[in-house]
Parts: sequence; structure tokens; C-alpha cells
Amino acid sequence: MMKDLLWAESQKLHRSKILWIAGFATVMVGLIVFAQGQFTFYDRRYIDGAGWFMTAAQSLATFYVLPAVISLLGSYMICREEQEDTLKSLRLIPVDEVKLTLAKMILAFVFSVLIYLLLFAITFLVEAVLHLEALSVGLVLENLKIYFLDGVGVFFAISPIIALVARMKKGYWLALVFAEIYSFAGLFASMSQQLKTVYPMTAVFNISGYYNANMFQVLIGVVILMVCVILSLLILKGWNRKTK
Amino acid sequence: MSDLVIETKKLTKIYGEQTAVNSVNLHVKPGRIYGLLGRNGAGKTTIMKMILGLTPITSGEVDVFGQNIKGHEKRIYPRIGAIIETPGFYPNLTGTENLEIFAKLRGTPQPNAVKNALEVVGLPYKDKKLFSKYSLGMKQRLGIANAILHDPELLILDEPTNGLDPIGIAEVRNFIKNLSVERGKTILISSHILSEISLLADDIGIIDHGVLLEESSMDELEKKNRKYIQLQVSDIPKASLILERQFHVTDYAVQDEHNLRLYDTALDMAAINKALVVQDVAVISSQICNDTLEDYFKQITGGAGIA
Repeated sequence: MMKDLLWAESQKLHRSKILWIAGFATVMVGLIVFAQGQFTFYDRRYIDGAGWFMTAAQSLATFYVLPAVISLLGSYMICREEQEDTLKSLRLIPVDEVKLTLAKMILAFVFSVLIYLLLFAITFLVEAVLHLEALSVGLVLENLKIYFLDGVGVFFAISPIIALVARMKKGYWLALVFAEIYSFAGLFASMSQQLKTVYPMTAVFNISGYYNANMFQVLIGVVILMVCVILSLLILKGWNRKTK
Repeated sequence: MSDLVIETKKLTKIYGEQTAVNSVNLHVKPGRIYGLLGRNGAGKTTIMKMILGLTPITSGEVDVFGQNIKGHEKRIYPRIGAIIETPGFYPNLTGTENLEIFAKLRGTPQPNAVKNALEVVGLPYKDKKLFSKYSLGMKQRLGIANAILHDPELLILDEPTNGLDPIGIAEVRNFIKNLSVERGKTILISSHILSEISLLADDIGIIDHGVLLEESSMDELEKKNRKYIQLQVSDIPKASLILERQFHVTDYAVQDEHNLRLYDTALDMAAINKALVVQDVAVISSQICNDTLEDYFKQITGGAGIA
């Protein structure tokens, strides 16, 4: 059943504008960081430094753009069933609503990882075109790992927002607003060592290796993200009980 | 165990202060078309939603296939196909893509189920038109296709001809009739269109303000409908006076300034006609008539509101 639900959820996203918005936003991140890379430091453009583009794109993407896009997609997938009145048809199959929500969350998780990998692909390709000889396998793989873990961690960090908006039923665009505020606040949290360790968005960077973090900070980060996941599960569980 | 497909016992739904459905006892027999007739807002959709477990019941009971649907959804739902209100589909997908999702989630075993269902309702298979671009009639057809996709034993159709053009209405009507006659499906259909119910239903339930006023088979209803003599005369007051004084007629109703109905069909019409003519009341016509379902509906609900 879960396999069918995942298949169905992926089908439902065909021609979905939100996917185009997500792709466009990711490319825009790449373009903006590329433009930033044209600034010079000691007569050398930032973009000319091997690995600079791959590194710089992550913070801009994570503090300003991608969490909002991912939460928008996640809450859209959940809220649309009610808004498009398809939930009653699904209930009459009958579809287990807990499994249905879980399938949507899994797909949003996959989407989160894929969108970070898309950003990695964009930045890697640009770096390869500009200075392939300067890129080492280790640097590329390290960045691939960081991007992958960013995708995983960011989804866990924003999962309570997806769950909350799904429960509020006030429109999935709210998820974009909440996630934007939440991720932007990470910029300020990153200025303090303590906050950086406990704030979910920056904890993601501690875990992924984007920040230099010790084992204790990584463990705290893992615990924080687990709390986020538990929180979202509790919100969704309460929501499912309410809708039954 | 009851041999009814659907049975409700004192089914009641209260929203706040308002009683939407009041103590309804519905009996849907296997292989028959049960027409639930009532004005808009009479409680038809609420009854169907309660039968399907889509809305909580305030009090009373619902049995579908002899079982309470609550807790037996996995066993009962695959035997039911339903359209409730406007059918909801994914607007960014085509009709075929939408049905393929529902077929997959239902675990529909027939490989051509989607194609067959679309053919039955007259929609093209693998068409590129998105659901968001569908007309109301096409949406309704797709809803019916989704309801019959898994070849259910029971169909619950809430105003299925809403938004269809006259040809579409006739097609859907024939198709519903065939499902019952040729394939033995049990169908519960609601409508506020009287002609639709009278042409389709084997059994009828008349609902008004949440109360089931009448439940009977169409055959019984036809027998029950009163016969009367329709009398068209030039002077109604004078004719009434003659009927009352000379023939002691009290069971009659004045329709307008020239028409009246006599409900005692055993009256000696030849004598009445003669008496009226002798006393200068011209008799334009007199004939024996039967009440239609529309008359009956008006009679028991006390007014208009149906098409």
C-alpha cells in the first residue's frame, strides 16, 4: 500500500507549478551566488577559488530560499486534498490517512534531498566549467555529502512547519512565510556559538559539516532535529485524530 | 440478518441548533434503484454522507450490506461506488491520469478498468485535456467513471446529472438504468429533479426539511395517487353550489376560476353535466385524471421547490 501511495503522490505532482517554482528558485540561488562571486578580493574573483561557489551557495540557499520552497511543497501536498475535495474520494477507497500523510512527508523529504542535490549539480557544473583542474575528488565528494545532509537536515528542521500548516488548514502559502522567517532567523542564530548549536537550521550545518563543529555540537544537532521530527509527528497525529 | 443493502434506523444529524436530518428510516433493497427526492437543502446529501461514514451521525444507525460501516470500512467501501456533491479530482492531471491514481489505490484488478469506465461515461481515454479545463458536465461524468471503476455492487449517486446537458442527462439515466437492470447493481440516487426520479427509480423516498415523509415503491405510489374528475365550467361559484346542494359533494377542490376537481370518481357525471347545463353553467370539459408524482410531492410537502 505504501508503494502505491508513494507512486500516487508522485503522479499527483505532474505539471505542478510548485515544482517549477522550486526549480526556478534553485537556479536563481545559483545565479545570485554566481553574481556575488564576481566581486574581487586582492584582485581575484571569489568565483575563481576552487570550492567557493559550492560552499557559498549553501548558506544563501538555506537561510533565504530552499526551506521555504520545501515547506511550501510539503504543505501543498497535504492541504490540496482538502482544498481540491479529493479527500472524500480517498476516504471512500479507503485510504489510511496516517499512511497517506506519511507518504506525502516521505516525498517531501525526497524532494528536499533532490533540490539540494540539484543545487550541488549546478554549483559543481559551474565550478567544473570554470576550473576543473583545481577541483579535487575529495573536495567534490565532501561538498556532495554536505549538500546531501543539508537536504536531509533541512527537511527534518522544517517538518513541524509542514505539519502545523497542514493542521491549520489556512492555506499552504502560510508555510512559505513561516519557513522564511524560521530560516532567516538562522542567520542571527549563526552569530552565537550557543544558539548555533541548538537552533534547528544552524544545527543542520553542524551535522552536515558546513560548519566546523565538534562531536558534542553534532550530537546536540541530531537531538534537536529528532525533536523537530517528533514534534511534527505529534502535530500530524493530532490532526489525523481530529479529521476522523 | 436483514436482506436490505442499506438500512437506516432513526438516522439523525444535528448541526448546532439545526436538525438537518430527523429520524430517517431508509430501506434500500438489492438490485433496485432507490430515488431520494427532495428540494435543495432537504437533507439528501447529509443522509448519503452519513451512510458512507463521511460525516458523523448525531444519533441512529446505518447498516450497509447488513453491517455498521464504522470499523468495517475496508470490507464495505470496495463494494460501493459514490459521488457526493461535486466530484473532486486533481486539476493538474488529465481525466485518465486522475482515474489511474484512484484505480491503483483501490487495487482495481482489471487492466482496462480506466478505459472501460471512461468509455461508459463517454469521455476520451488518454486525452490531454486537464481536469481544470473540464466543463461541469465532464467533471460529473468523470465522477461517475470513478464511482464505477471498480465495478461496485452499490452505487450512491448524489445528484449525478448536475451540470449535464439534456442529452447527457438522458445518457446517464439510461446508463444508470442499465446498471440496475442488466448488471443487478443497487443504486441510491438523490435528486431535486422529479422527472429524473420518476423515470429512474423503482423505489422512492420523499424528504423534506430532513424528514422522510414517504417511502414506497413507484408501483405503490402510482396506485396510491388519487384519481379525480377534472371539470372545466364557465361559472365556478354556481357550479360549486349545484354540486353541494344537489349532489351533496364535499370532496372537491377549486383550481382556478374555471377548473375544479372532484375526488369522488363514482359520481354520476352524466347527471351532474345535465344539471349544470340546465342551470346555465356551461360544461367545457370533464375527464377522469390521475395525480402525477409532482402533484403528490406538492401534496405531501405542501409546496414548490422541485424542477
